Amino acid sequence: MLNIEITPNDNALLVSLGGRLDTTTAPDLEKRLSTDLEGVTSLTFDLENLDYISSAGLRVLLSAQKQMNQQGEMKVLHVGETIMEIFEVTGFTDILTIE
Amino acid sequence: MNQEKDIATRIVLSGRIDSTNAAATEHEIMNQISGREKQPIVLDMTDLQYISSAGLRVILRLKKTSPDLSLINVNPEVYDILDMTGFTEMMSVEKAYRVVSVEGCEEIGRGANGTIYRIDQDNVVKVYNNANALADIQHEREVAKLALILGIPTAISYDVVRVNESYGSVFELLNARSFSKILSSSPDQFDWCVKEFAEMLKKIHSTVVPAGKLPDMKEKVVSWAEFMKDHLPEASGQKLLALVNAIPHDDHMIHGDYHTKNLELQNDEVLLIDMDTLAVGHPVFELGSMYNSFVGFSEYDHGVIKKFQGFDFETAKAFWRASLAAYLGTNHEKKIKEVENKARIIGYTRLIRRAIRRNAMETDSGRAEIELWKSELIDLLAKTDSLLFTRNEVEIDALNENLPQVISFIEEHLDEVGCSPKIKMQIQIAAEEIFVNIANYAYRPDVGKASVRVEVSDDPLSVVITFMDHGKPFDPTKNADPDVTLSAEARDIGGLGIFMTKKIMDDVKYEYVDGRNILTLKKDIS
Repeated sequence: MLNIEITPNDNALLVSLGGRLDTTTAPDLEKRLSTDLEGVTSLTFDLENLDYISSAGLRVLLSAQKQMNQQGEMKVLHVGETIMEIFEVTGFTDILTIE
Repeated sequence: MNQEKDIATRIVLSGRIDSTNAAATEHEIMNQISGREKQPIVLDMTDLQYISSAGLRVILRLKKTSPDLSLINVNPEVYDILDMTGFTEMMSVEKAYRVVSVEGCEEIGRGANGTIYRIDQDNVVKVYNNANALADIQHEREVAKLALILGIPTAISYDVVRVNESYGSVFELLNARSFSKILSSSPDQFDWCVKEFAEMLKKIHSTVVPAGKLPDMKEKVVSWAEFMKDHLPEASGQKLLALVNAIPHDDHMIHGDYHTKNLELQNDEVLLIDMDTLAVGHPVFELGSMYNSFVGFSEYDHGVIKKFQGFDFETAKAFWRASLAAYLGTNHEKKIKEVENKARIIGYTRLIRRAIRRNAMETDSGRAEIELWKSELIDLLAKTDSLLFTRNEVEIDALNENLPQVISFIEEHLDEVGCSPKIKMQIQIAAEEIFVNIANYAYRPDVGKASVRVEVSDDPLSVVITFMDHGKPFDPTKNADPDVTLSAEARDIGGLGIFMTKKIMDDVKYEYVDGRNILTLKKDIS
């Protein structure tokens, strides 16, 4: 189960994720972003309640980062220890702006 | 021709009926039934050797005047003619039972309801203990057919015969050897036998039976537990009944008498026989009866097993243990012991009840045997809280939508040993990557099965997860690692899964054996 909460604020978008971002749930997030990212210049992911991420989830973050590189900026907040380790192993700590 | 005084008019036909005597025969039959045409008519064909189409027309006309017509004791040649011409569909036609002698024949199996003899090179006969066994034979034939349709390789009897005062059913079993025979004559085949024996058991237990087709084993075991209440200390008796009652209904097949005499190797095919005990229920019921076959029956007098199976007690015990391990999909001694103890509770319950009902309490050795089983049972009941268990291996359609099932299966086994959330997540990530890989590529564009096995081993505490599929040979460990130092723009979407798996796990090993991709992941969890 993945909980997706999206809060728009002018050209900024806050995406709060909870639960599991995996092969079965990543397509949901991908679909939401494909419409909601239009015109957004500042994208923020809040991962405070995210328990699990697999490569399918990393792929969605990567393509969001690629898109935001074209149209603005993206940052990731509240990354827990276990997910941080996954970001480190995969080099995502260098790609993403983690605060 | 003569006529017997019966409710039905019985007419005996003998010799040949063809165009030379059909008219005369017809005339005589009509005379005999005159005035009772609408009553039941029985034609006894014991001595009828031949019937031509002229004769068949006589029967057809008789059927029109006397609709309640049946033919009995029809010999096989005449039966074939009646069958071919569709007469067997139009009226009741009962075959004559062939008489078979089993004198001097080799006994190849012995079960609860009968004994199996080899009557010639290609055929065996199962002689039923019950003299009035026609209903039993019919039952066994029906359940064997059901099993065959559901995918269990078995032999179906093609003929019913008379053997002395009993009935027998005849099966074709060419060049077949039972697993008991293989084990006792070729000890080097031990491992192969274990593998095949466990595979068949998994196959039986993964077969779902349509509702109402087979008896529910739980009902029977509940009645055993109720019987035992009078023969156990009160607390033990109550615990036993509560444990059995807590077993949920299960619509998967169990054989009911699964041991090495009931598994035959015919050429290269493994066949399950002796199907009359087929039922549905939780696999612990099956394991209980298996424990008895290999160990329980001979626990007091170790010599018993040799007479029954042909191999000794030590071999039987080793075979039971190895088969249980292979069936569960683990070599973890603690887990095997735990499941064995659950099986023993069912096993002893059955053994004690059986012995008491057979008046074993009247002999010294009988009493000693019951005492032994009873003290073990009371011991086990005191330390057991559930008779349920799960195997360490599941087979599942390799589809992405089944991922949650795979993950929760792995989680369940990790929870059994206690494992930090971080390690749990890492193992789940690796398992997801491998399973999804199989789902997306192994069988494309078809759908196939994947097996997942979770094993825990001690010292150091570690978990081994094995994925198996029959898809295209593919070694994911050979994938080139992505360059994780590249910028987002330069990074490819993909290739991360296998890389993460290799990073997260302590060991990732790929093999291709017997047409199967086998990927083994290992992680220290201490």
